[in-house]
Amino acid sequence: MSEGCIRLVNLQKRFGAQEVLRGVNLDVPIGKITVVIGRSGTGKSVLLKILMGLMRADEGQILIGGANITRFGDRELLKVRNRFGMVFQHSALFDSMSVFENVAFPLREHERLRERELAARVNAALASVGLVEHGHKDVHQLSGGMRKRAAVARALVRKPEFLLYDEPTTGLDPIMTAHVDELIRSTQDSTPGLTSLVISHDMAATLRIADKVAMLHEGAVIFEGTAEDLQNTDHAAVRQFVEGRLDGPIHL
Amino acid sequence: MNPISAVGAWVLGAVEEFGQYTVFTARALWGIVRPPYRLRNLFRQMEFVGNQSLSIVLITGAFTGMVFAVQTDFAFGRFGARGLIGSTVVLALTRELGPVLTSLMVNGRVGSAMAAEIGTMRVTEQIDALESMAVDPVQYLASPRIGASILMLPILCAAFDLVGALGVSYVATQVLGVNPGPYYARMEWFVDPDDIWGGMLKSSVFGFIIASVGCYRGFTASGGAEGVGRATTRAVVASGVAVLVVDYFITVILAPMSVNRA
Repeated sequence: MSEGCIRLVNLQKRFGAQEVLRGVNLDVPIGKITVVIGRSGTGKSVLLKILMGLMRADEGQILIGGANITRFGDRELLKVRNRFGMVFQHSALFDSMSVFENVAFPLREHERLRERELAARVNAALASVGLVEHGHKDVHQLSGGMRKRAAVARALVRKPEFLLYDEPTTGLDPIMTAHVDELIRSTQDSTPGLTSLVISHDMAATLRIADKVAMLHEGAVIFEGTAEDLQNTDHAAVRQFVEGRLDGPIHL
Repeated sequence: MNPISAVGAWVLGAVEEFGQYTVFTARALWGIVRPPYRLRNLFRQMEFVGNQSLSIVLITGAFTGMVFAVQTDFAFGRFGARGLIGSTVVLALTRELGPVLTSLMVNGRVGSAMAAEIGTMRVTEQIDALESMAVDPVQYLASPRIGASILMLPILCAAFDLVGALGVSYVATQVLGVNPGPYYARMEWFVDPDDIWGGMLKSSVFGFIIASVGCYRGFTASGGAEGVGRATTRAVVASGVAVLVVDYFITVILAPMSVNRA
């Protein structure tokens, strides 16, 4: 089991007096889409940052292929980061560059490629999200959905093993949300060996794409299971969140 | 809160802020000397800081020289020292007005742009994106901007000195009718290359201040468009004041060197 997943063990993080993560235990299965749901401000983004090595946990372990990356030094952590790709909430494309240059950026920074090879890699990544003809455009000429696709292409271009999405559908209309869900699903299906981890509080999206769902509440995982399990659970707090009700164990 | 603890809190805040600025600046300077070297970014910033500021610096320089010719004539004409207009104004230009006015003009153009651009990247997660791609954002964004400003400000300052000197000479000899012979002879006698070098050195320090404060304010921006606006304003104000304060201390330190030669 431990070979087939990223395993988070008793992960803790505090900022001053505020405990953000109070011992997160979670298995993220390799080759699947795992969605972590939870209310805003429950430490979901902090979890992503710790996973990417952008932030250090105070306590606990992250086991990837049996190695505990929380013990790694800065240089090793940099190597770990290269195995991850991240799609930001608002895409976070560089607006000083064209779409092509955005996708080429990680390659230019980390791999010494001939210009022709580089173009082939970038165009392949753009093609996988259906943006080949838009490479020459400026970022601000793209629609919200196209930006998201460009961000996925940029995150994929170095062929990472793990792809992280930070609230990919927040602020999008329902049709665009369905489009991004489809993008996450098709990216997963067309990239062998890829492991996707999606942070979300969008229930409809979660049920559509998730192979596995975990719910984070008050800094700990209170539910793990399939999308089907999620709909049939008896857990009061989870039910309240899934159904979006005001009354229940979770208070504002 | 009582007044004493209010003052204490303010002082602690200011010290902490200065400490963070110092750490940030040290990281950026270290980023200039260590690989990877992104020369393309450096040249792009040199073009932005230098070439694109040239026209405003030239116009400012020419008119500063011209107006000081008129004002100095007003004062010196009273005791028959009009032949000294050129040397006086050119000394003031090279030693003081060149570096300071160049820096203040560049601060308004470049310091604000750096704070706004980097601040926007901060609030739109572009800086997090750099980090997620294993790129050091301080080295990628701040180092070339600071390096370019350190290199380009002295050149802009020299251009300011040159057109300022041309401006004062034109107004003095052509408009005010000062005799060109003694005018140029006195200028050559009084103005030393060290005056020009000293001014250029100062402007290099000012360039460092403008770029490092602008980048720091951008990196620490938060809170959307309003936060970026606040960061930009604070960058320009802080740099402008810092340039004038630091100017005094550099001048005091440099002054003995130029006194010795006389």
